[in-house]
Amino acid sequence: MVSEKLTVINKAGFHMRPAGIFVQAMGKYKSDITIVYNGREIDGKSIMNVMAACMKQGAEIEIRCSGEDEEAMLAEAAGMVKSGLGEE
Amino acid sequence: MYQGIAASEGIGIGKAVLLVEPDLDFSGAVFAGTDAEKSRLSAAVAEFTQKTSALAETMKARVGERQAEILTGQVMMISDPFMTGQMNEAIDSGQCAEAAVDAVCGLYIGMFSAMEDELMRQRASDVEDLKNRLLAILLGRTAVDLGSVPPGSVLVARDFTPSMTAGIVRENVAAIVTEVGGFTSHSAILARTMELPAVLSVPHITTLLQEGGSVVVDGGEGTVLPDPDAAVLAEYERRRLALAEEKAALAELRGKPTLTADGVKVDLYCNIGGPGDVNAALEATAEGVGLFRTEFLFMDRAALPTEEEQFQVYRDVAARLEGREAVIRTLDVGGDKDIPYLGLEKEENPFLGFRAVRYCLERTDVFRAQLRALLRASAFGRVKIMLPLITCVDELRSARALLEELKRELDGEGVPYDRDVKLGVMIETPAAALIADLLAREADFFSIGTNDLIQYTMAVDRGNARVAYLYSPLNPAVLRSIRAVIRSGAEAGIPVGMCGEAAADPLLIPLLLSFGLDEFSVGAASVLATRRRISRWSKADADALAAQALVLSTEAEVRALLKERIMGGL
Repeated sequence: MVSEKLTVINKAGFHMRPAGIFVQAMGKYKSDITIVYNGREIDGKSIMNVMAACMKQGAEIEIRCSGEDEEAMLAEAAGMVKSGLGEE
Repeated sequence: MYQGIAASEGIGIGKAVLLVEPDLDFSGAVFAGTDAEKSRLSAAVAEFTQKTSALAETMKARVGERQAEILTGQVMMISDPFMTGQMNEAIDSGQCAEAAVDAVCGLYIGMFSAMEDELMRQRASDVEDLKNRLLAILLGRTAVDLGSVPPGSVLVARDFTPSMTAGIVRENVAAIVTEVGGFTSHSAILARTMELPAVLSVPHITTLLQEGGSVVVDGGEGTVLPDPDAAVLAEYERRRLALAEEKAALAELRGKPTLTADGVKVDLYCNIGGPGDVNAALEATAEGVGLFRTEFLFMDRAALPTEEEQFQVYRDVAARLEGREAVIRTLDVGGDKDIPYLGLEKEENPFLGFRAVRYCLERTDVFRAQLRALLRASAFGRVKIMLPLITCVDELRSARALLEELKRELDGEGVPYDRDVKLGVMIETPAAALIADLLAREADFFSIGTNDLIQYTMAVDRGNARVAYLYSPLNPAVLRSIRAVIRSGAEAGIPVGMCGEAAADPLLIPLLLSFGLDEFSVGAASVLATRRRISRWSKADADALAAQALVLSTEAEVRALLKERIMGGL
């Protein structure tokens, strides 16, 4: 398993559009992805769970990936969060 | 007559079409075995996905990308393997597909509606819509088809879901009426985008109106009138035509230069609160931005925006204006705005306290970052920098000195900027108005901020109902002030603009033209109307009216004169 701690920087956080882009990108990987936020574990391939977690600007999260392509998956996931999930 | 929320302007006259939601009772459904239920579910999901994607495409073409996003969002939701997994688990435990859909969606509806975040709470209605349509597919009940209503239909429903509105054919619909929803609801936004008259939140309206009955909807007043008699109908028909003509006349002015009746060109700009407003300004064919409030960059966050972050926003706005001017106001904060990390204290008199340029000149770290970002952005468009709440020349000098220092800094770093970037002041205090001649020697431009100028000149808080009557730009004290400021600017050869609501006021416009105002900056929604109001006045007519108005002693006398000449004469 590989993991990385990150802060959500875009204004609205994981609302519908960013969450959709994120889970779509994660769906391409074979590995599993879990986002840990406020002590809860969220399935990073489920848009409903990602949205329901209500991760907004400033949220401190940890992304964990495990599986055969975990390195590449984590790199893309972290890159997306750092670049503001395609938003301002 | 029934009263509701006026959600989208315009008058719609037609026949009521009552939209009854399909009966989604599934208590009669019988469990057909795990495999059978699962394959029914997956077939329904596939049908839902196909139909919704098609609706989203229609919506994109008819209304716009943003409105279609709600539907594409529903497709993303139903494609969530976790959610469909939960539905299959419910089937495994012996529930039929309908019950599984109902239970799992219900879970998320509950979760989203309990959220504090408004944007997230709206997702609850998306899941509700998704659930209902999935159930309708499973039960074989057809949802309402809005595509087939006859021309002249007034659509009446409890609420319009995103999927319902997607099917609306604009040409056939005269108006929409609902029992729920407010001014910012999905239905309201959609109605305004489609320019459909709409009245929302009329209690029990689906039972009060009769199918096929004649009905008049006034989206400006928020009224619904059933069975109008011939006289009433004729009156509404006349108003509907007048409104339509007015709209067409304004549309004519789209993209035209702003000229007075005798052909003098004035600048008509737009006020914006963020980069998101640039499209509306361009759409309204504003000729520039006369006031860009930068506070949004500093609000709703935990720390100061960096120079880089600000630079990107200013550059983006400047570049998108494609050569039009952007007057950007430096940070205008004070003890009345809650931005915790700025370290502002609550004050007894926040409007007379440590705010705006006073704050910036002391917190030079904040000011430097903003001015550097503005200078850097000036390389990408026509940026003008405006200082708020100036009361003495020293403030302008200090800001100018800092700006020059930062220019040298950028020179040293080899960073490009506009060497001729203009630094102007906002005239919004009586002090600034009284020394406008002194300020004009050193400022590159003026912009009169009427909201604060009225407040400080009349010593009135317009939020206080007991004294709000004093809040008017037509008070002789305010008019003299505006006239003196414009005159001082003209004498010094610098342009003078106005960026308050007053710049769009039909009563004030002839006076401003007579005084010689160079630039009118108004809200996007008022651009075309202001262009038309300006086009009605020649310099000679405006001067004659101003000469009469400026000798009157009271606000009421000024108002009565202007009303009679403007409203009465046109």
